[in-house]
Amino acid sequence: MPRETLDRFARMDSPVHRLPAGVKFGVAFGFVVLTLLVPRHAWWVYAVESLLLVAVAVVSRIPPWFLLRRILWLEPVLMGVALLALWQPGGPGLFAALVARSTLCLAGMMLAAATTPFSDTLRLLERLHVPRMLMTTLALTFRYQYLLLDESDRMRRARRSRTFHARRGVEWRMLSTVVAHLFLRSIDRAARIHAAMCARGWRP
Amino acid sequence: MNALEVDHLSYHYRDGRAALADVSFEVREGERVALVGPNGAGKSTLLLHLNGLLPERAAREPHVTVFGMPVSESNLLEVRARVGLLFQDPDDQLFCPTVFDDVAFGPQQQGLSVHQVRERVTEALRDVGLEGFEQRMPHHLSRGEKRRVCLAGVLACRPGLLVLDEPTSDLDPRGRRELIALLRSLPVTQLIATHDLELVVELCPALILMDRGRVIRQGPSIELLSDEGLMLAHGLESPHILHHLDGRDR
Repeated sequence: MPRETLDRFARMDSPVHRLPAGVKFGVAFGFVVLTLLVPRHAWWVYAVESLLLVAVAVVSRIPPWFLLRRILWLEPVLMGVALLALWQPGGPGLFAALVARSTLCLAGMMLAAATTPFSDTLRLLERLHVPRMLMTTLALTFRYQYLLLDESDRMRRARRSRTFHARRGVEWRMLSTVVAHLFLRSIDRAARIHAAMCARGWRP
Repeated sequence: MNALEVDHLSYHYRDGRAALADVSFEVREGERVALVGPNGAGKSTLLLHLNGLLPERAAREPHVTVFGMPVSESNLLEVRARVGLLFQDPDDQLFCPTVFDDVAFGPQQQGLSVHQVRERVTEALRDVGLEGFEQRMPHHLSRGEKRRVCLAGVLACRPGLLVLDEPTSDLDPRGRRELIALLRSLPVTQLIATHDLELVVELCPALILMDRGRVIRQGPSIELLSDEGLMLAHGLESPHILHHLDGRDR
């Protein structure tokens, strides 16, 4: 059973989805710049921006749980930076403003990314003259992350089917061997992918 | 004219084991030839030599010639444009985010215009019966569909020689049947490495038998496959389909 991909809601049909990738990311970038330029304690601007994001999300018909979960995943990273502000003068206010701003920026970019198929995002980056090696790396990462996750699922399932006394220690050891095996298999696969790319005329 | 000439080719793995020992054979243009042998016979290693993916460092004297061109460092790109290699695991070959990007990869590397690339992709996908799959993600395709996209990616490069490594392994009967019909319809020279001996009977009039890195025999497929002693001695079995062929087919 193949895993759902990160851009699984990018191929829906809505006015937001229909916008060209360049427009979406351009607007998202403008939104980020605007958010950063707003005076730190202009809470009403944050409120208006949040409403705007919610409105776009509703129009795009992407399930709210999908967006919220992705924001929550990255929130600890933002928190790490914001927490440092607590030790500065006027800490709590600064902390709240930093959290609000970074969450808004993140949500704006998330919305643009979630409504754009990854291949279109790559094409946009290509038009922006992002170095080719970086593009290839991004494309390969996107393509093979799911394969790797599927492979780890299959390996863990196979191991579990022969594990009769599940203890936490055994579980951890199992996970470490799965990771080690995946690493070795990935190196082999990388060599085969490279051969397949060269076979069709790839020039690094 | 010969599409492929392999002349006294030998190759050793890094650990010193011999993978290919003095392999020589020819494939004429337009021919469809099977390459059979047990696991570890050196078939896949041999195929990687046919477009210069092996040896890692090009030999001083080329042992492989494709359409009159010796496979050497200086003409690798030209050789790879003429030899289309279909790998055993489709997931190794489908490395782009969408089917379109993947099929377009080869033509783009050949420096074709956007319009030509689009044309090639449309044509190749139509040839393999996957029109309308352009924006699909390889991750969501069935094994048979993946295999056909791989083939489209190779065909889009317009190769003169198609080299296939185990094309029917892990396909269901319908997928296998469709692939056989597709290969039969393609008007290019084909070298097919396979364990699927029934496919050999159906598709390939000529056969090369390999074992332990050597060419054991080459000749008409039905004659060699009917030799049960020969087949058993090299880890193979005469396919059942031979019993159903009448005298004329034999």
